[in-house]
Amino acid sequence: MLNFPLWKVGLIVVIFLWGAILAIPNMFSDGFLGIEPREPSDPSNEVAMAAYQQQLQEAEDSWWFLPAGKLNLGLDLQGGVYLLMEIDPAEIAANRLQTVQADIRTAFNRNPLVERNPPVQNEDRLTIELLNPEEDMDEAVRRLNRLNPTIGTTQTKLFSVSQSGDQFIQLTVPGGARTALAADAQAKMMEIIRRRIDPDGVAEISITPQGDNRIILEAPGEADPKRIKDILGQAGRLTFNMANLDPSAIRAAVTTGRPSPREELVDSIDYGQILVNRIPELTGADIATANRCFDEANFPAVCFRLNSSAATKFYNLTRNNVGRNFAIVLDGTSMSSPSIRVPIPGGNVIIEGRFSIEEAEDLAAIIEAGELPAKLNFLDERTVGPTLGAESIAAGSRASMIGLALVGVFMILAYGLVGGFAVGSLMANIVMIIGALSGFGATLTLPGIAGIILTIGMAVDANVIVFERIREEQSNGRSPATAIQAGYERALSAILDANITTFIAASILYMVGSGPVKGFAVTLAIGILTSVFTAFVVTRWFTVMYLRTFRPKRLAM
Amino acid sequence: MLLRLWPEKTAVSFMSLRFIALIISVTALLASAALLGTRGLNLGIDFAGGAVIEITEPDDVSADDIRNAVQPLIVGEVQVNSARGTGPNAPDIAVIRFKPQPPVGDETPDEAQNRAGDEVNAALKALVDEGLPEGESRFEIRSEASVGPKVSGELFRSGIIALTVALALMMVYISFRFQWQYALGAVAALFHDVILTMGMFALTGFEFNLATIAALLTIVGYSMNDTVIVFDRVREEARKYKKLELSKVVDLAINATMSRTLLTSGTTLLALLSIFLFGGPVLRGMSFALIFGVVVGTYSSIFVASAVVLLLGIDRGDKPKREVEGFQGVS
Repeated sequence: MLNFPLWKVGLIVVIFLWGAILAIPNMFSDGFLGIEPREPSDPSNEVAMAAYQQQLQEAEDSWWFLPAGKLNLGLDLQGGVYLLMEIDPAEIAANRLQTVQADIRTAFNRNPLVERNPPVQNEDRLTIELLNPEEDMDEAVRRLNRLNPTIGTTQTKLFSVSQSGDQFIQLTVPGGARTALAADAQAKMMEIIRRRIDPDGVAEISITPQGDNRIILEAPGEADPKRIKDILGQAGRLTFNMANLDPSAIRAAVTTGRPSPREELVDSIDYGQILVNRIPELTGADIATANRCFDEANFPAVCFRLNSSAATKFYNLTRNNVGRNFAIVLDGTSMSSPSIRVPIPGGNVIIEGRFSIEEAEDLAAIIEAGELPAKLNFLDERTVGPTLGAESIAAGSRASMIGLALVGVFMILAYGLVGGFAVGSLMANIVMIIGALSGFGATLTLPGIAGIILTIGMAVDANVIVFERIREEQSNGRSPATAIQAGYERALSAILDANITTFIAASILYMVGSGPVKGFAVTLAIGILTSVFTAFVVTRWFTVMYLRTFRPKRLAM
Repeated sequence: MLLRLWPEKTAVSFMSLRFIALIISVTALLASAALLGTRGLNLGIDFAGGAVIEITEPDDVSADDIRNAVQPLIVGEVQVNSARGTGPNAPDIAVIRFKPQPPVGDETPDEAQNRAGDEVNAALKALVDEGLPEGESRFEIRSEASVGPKVSGELFRSGIIALTVALALMMVYISFRFQWQYALGAVAALFHDVILTMGMFALTGFEFNLATIAALLTIVGYSMNDTVIVFDRVREEARKYKKLELSKVVDLAINATMSRTLLTSGTTLLALLSIFLFGGPVLRGMSFALIFGVVVGTYSSIFVASAVVLLLGIDRGDKPKREVEGFQGVS
């Protein structure tokens, strides 16, 4: 126990330095650490460009041996928005079944025709009544099975076909298909969410899946959850429909509540309500790109370009319908219903509205990202403003400093010089906790800071146990060297057992906790490991060095 | 002269106090159970759902103004509390709370919650920023949280599961390292600590939330730590003095570890006190739970865990031998 060969000393120094090097980056700017700065999306922004240039310069001067990892601050410390969203698997299944209906119609209309009543869909169950079941049943089932699509990249089929009664066929979405649909939708939605919230790919947002059908969005620095919810709350279903602006037809449809079967009433932002064709000419899938632009009067607008086949379709449509109106319908509201004066080639379309610049940008992002496969439900939403975050950091560091000072003074009062050694190893402990947190890329939260402070209080425990043993052995008449030897040997089992049980608690907390609580568990767990190391190795080394150098007759403690 | 919290070489007979301790513990447990049953816990939005919005409050706006503006939009009571801002020149702070909102029409409960949150935000803006040009504001949203009923239920369940699993695993570890009597003693102490801490939350009305669960788990860890130190010494003394009465052995162990117990509790309490006093309002509930838990945990490792071990008795290596001999004698 008193034997410290050179290699052991070397190992202690290396482990400590490794922790210190991992901790040091937290004192420097990103540029200095050689972290590639992000190029501003708007080169005309002089302030952003100047900052970018400076970061590039700093990156060149950086110290090569410093790692680039810094402590990640949790949203509760740096401010930002946290959103937990859920998609309903039954709704996705129902939506998919809805879109399959068009294929069923085509398949049944092929020669020989399968005669049937219009299918009835009830949530994720579709019932088809055949009119000539004796002749058509087998053929109908065969055709349905053939068109049954697979989900995403899996081999899972969307629905199962079963016969019920003499003339009914039922399509149901089985559990396995639902799970596959949800997984497929989750991946798709994460991509759509990213493109909607962060169309330029510059923000530091994180979008992570949780379970089968949930998505967590974390947007540091964002202070307005409403804007994010507005952007994500829209289905984003965009269609081009031929429109009927004839006031008398609209009035008739409004009063009777029954437009002609081919048409439907939609809200319009410029005309109250208008009639549009039920079947759209083009959909959001036909759009190649969308941007915020300015119209002729220099108001913000949304410009988009159709892909090449849709552009041809659009040209033909406008050529055949000169003088009529078409409507651009987003989620059941007509955004614009211009009249066609001349055929429009090239597939460039503009939506003029009374948009603010921000609204136009958000709308462009929504249109380009595409339609959400299902509605997002917001389950848990937390926002921390930048001021509160900064206050929490200040309070956390103040509490750490005071806690450390109090514990340090107390230890020196209780154990004198060796107490001082323990304080020295406590400092090393804190450096290593910060180093480990940075190295693992763990996130520091406010409860995490509380975890570090708690560790400061508890970390001395291992030292205290040993010191008490040494005291006891000394008072039994042993020399300092043998007392220290015996003290460490006897304390080992108690320290290990005690810390392993605390470590169990911290691990469980990490597994089930979320967000800030997880941060607490991480610092607690790391603190337990480093405190056992520092107490058993660092303090002991200090004590042994002292013993060798000064050869005291008795340890004052 | 160095600080001594506990004199050297004491022989206090802690175990003779165990019946008094039993009365204290049972009374405290019953009181906690009664408080939990009657007053209940002040569940935070993590577990109860609902919303909390914290804004800076301009001088000409009062808590009553805010309540009057928000109450018509909300089903159930709206609580508005004003507080002084921390730091010089910091604006006052208003905290607005309301319970989960019942759905209207074909809304889901989560949608109702979101709608209410949006309406309240709009009403606050209308109240405070009336007459200001578009885009300007006289207040800042310091924090905002809205938890739907679905997630709050799940969070509560996972919190309870975490506590249960942690207790079970520790029991397994202790049985493995010591003997089952020790495991039962340790777990009895842990239940004691957790129930008393929850009772304390019911008594004081501090908010019970996710951070509190984290604190409870830490208390479990700390109390276990303390208990294991005492047990380790009991095991050692029991080996050393094979003939000594068990209650004397336990007393020896407690006396020997007392100085350490007080010192470690002391440093831990100092650290926690600095969080409680200087760590800001967000950490206050959590550090309160920890402070109380450390005190109770220290008490319980002596008077609950050790007393249970004394009650159950331990296997001291002589009894099994005799049984084996007896068995051989018969054959």
